Amino acid sequence: MKFSNHLIILSTIFLGFWLDNFLNPLTIKLFVELNFGFLIFTYWVFALPEKLQSSAALFYGLVIDLFFSHALGFNMLFFVATSYVIHLYVFRFRIFSYFQLAVFFSGSSTFYLACKYLLLSPYNYSYILLISSFFINAILWVGIYLIMRAFRRSIFSNL
Amino acid sequence: MARSTPTYTPIRNYAIGILLSAILLFSDIAYGTFTPVRGFVNASALYTQMISSGALENISNTFYSFKKNRNLLNENKELKEQILQIRTKDFIERKNRDEKKKIINFQKELISSLSNNYIDIYKIASMDLRNYFCCSTHRIFLQNTKNASIEKNVPVFAGNSYIGQTKNTYIDFIEVILFSDASHVLPIKSNSFYCDARGKGKPLLISCTLDQTNQDLPNQIGDLIYTSGLGGIFFKDIEIGFISGVNAVSNNEIEVLITLKANPLNETFYAVLSKEADEV
Repeated sequence: MKFSNHLIILSTIFLGFWLDNFLNPLTIKLFVELNFGFLIFTYWVFALPEKLQSSAALFYGLVIDLFFSHALGFNMLFFVATSYVIHLYVFRFRIFSYFQLAVFFSGSSTFYLACKYLLLSPYNYSYILLISSFFINAILWVGIYLIMRAFRRSIFSNL
Repeated sequence: MARSTPTYTPIRNYAIGILLSAILLFSDIAYGTFTPVRGFVNASALYTQMISSGALENISNTFYSFKKNRNLLNENKELKEQILQIRTKDFIERKNRDEKKKIINFQKELISSLSNNYIDIYKIASMDLRNYFCCSTHRIFLQNTKNASIEKNVPVFAGNSYIGQTKNTYIDFIEVILFSDASHVLPIKSNSFYCDARGKGKPLLISCTLDQTNQDLPNQIGDLIYTSGLGGIFFKDIEIGFISGVNAVSNNEIEVLITLKANPLNETFYAVLSKEADEV
């Protein structure tokens, strides 16, 4: 894959994390943490498994860590680990329904959130937040999936 | 039929990636190895943001100035009339000004007699609202336009109380750690106890743990909390908040919740002492 394509993918993930930064101060009061950035990343790995390998996940994680995280390595670790799981079962996922996909990807994003709170902010760990975020992110995933698929087909017609 | 799907997944590369990122994460969390790198990136991003917003502002100002020229002639006439009115008011204001000068001189003398520190005022550049509302890290960045050299761990004042202390400087920005940051510890006192209060990682909240047997704390909710000066950074006897709650932690221990007085969300300008303060 061309470097410019990597930049486009990275910029969508970057936009997702920026949206998280912008919206979460508002939604956190309702015990909801949106996870656009992580869901967009998982969409790309799910959509282009043969193009996005471990090195891409590591690089994307590094950039996101530098700009958005309070600990270098956190997003790198989760991006690589999630990328591995998605690669392992990508063809099974292709025959899943939207509902099943939403449950899996929202579950992964909730696991990401739980680990983020446990490692970086244990005082604020909250089960209510995780449960409500799971449902909201499951709904978000469907939207992200449809929007990103339309975007991918219009931008990457050859991929 | 195949029992499992074919994959593209060589585990070696992923294992190396996971190991590498786990090492980086551990070293950053445990030892803060990459804090300067992250600080530099944050400061650079802020700098870029300010430059771009400045450029946009210049462009909009140019367009605005074209429109403004039309109104200037009309305003000029009005202003001439106003000047005549102002001249008459000026006489009265001169008298007031003389009195104000006396008051300002008195304040300056008072400040210099309290300490030999220089007080600089800085405007806020950025505040990480996401972390402020949800997480343990509560930091703000101040805009150091004067390029003043600011030492670490210098008290920062806003509104009518202390709000935190300087943590680091990156390019033209000063990073300030707020009292509510979970890693910040502040020696405090009330009328009945001394303790080291740690940030709760929640807006405006700090807490300290005390021995339950010696205290009649539930009756002290609402009592004022002051800096004790024992840390050697903050002046003592400065009011920083009040006791807002008391929770039992164990049979012998009790957690005292303190709500801070100064809210960083309401403040635009922050005062920093250029020289490290001595205890008073």
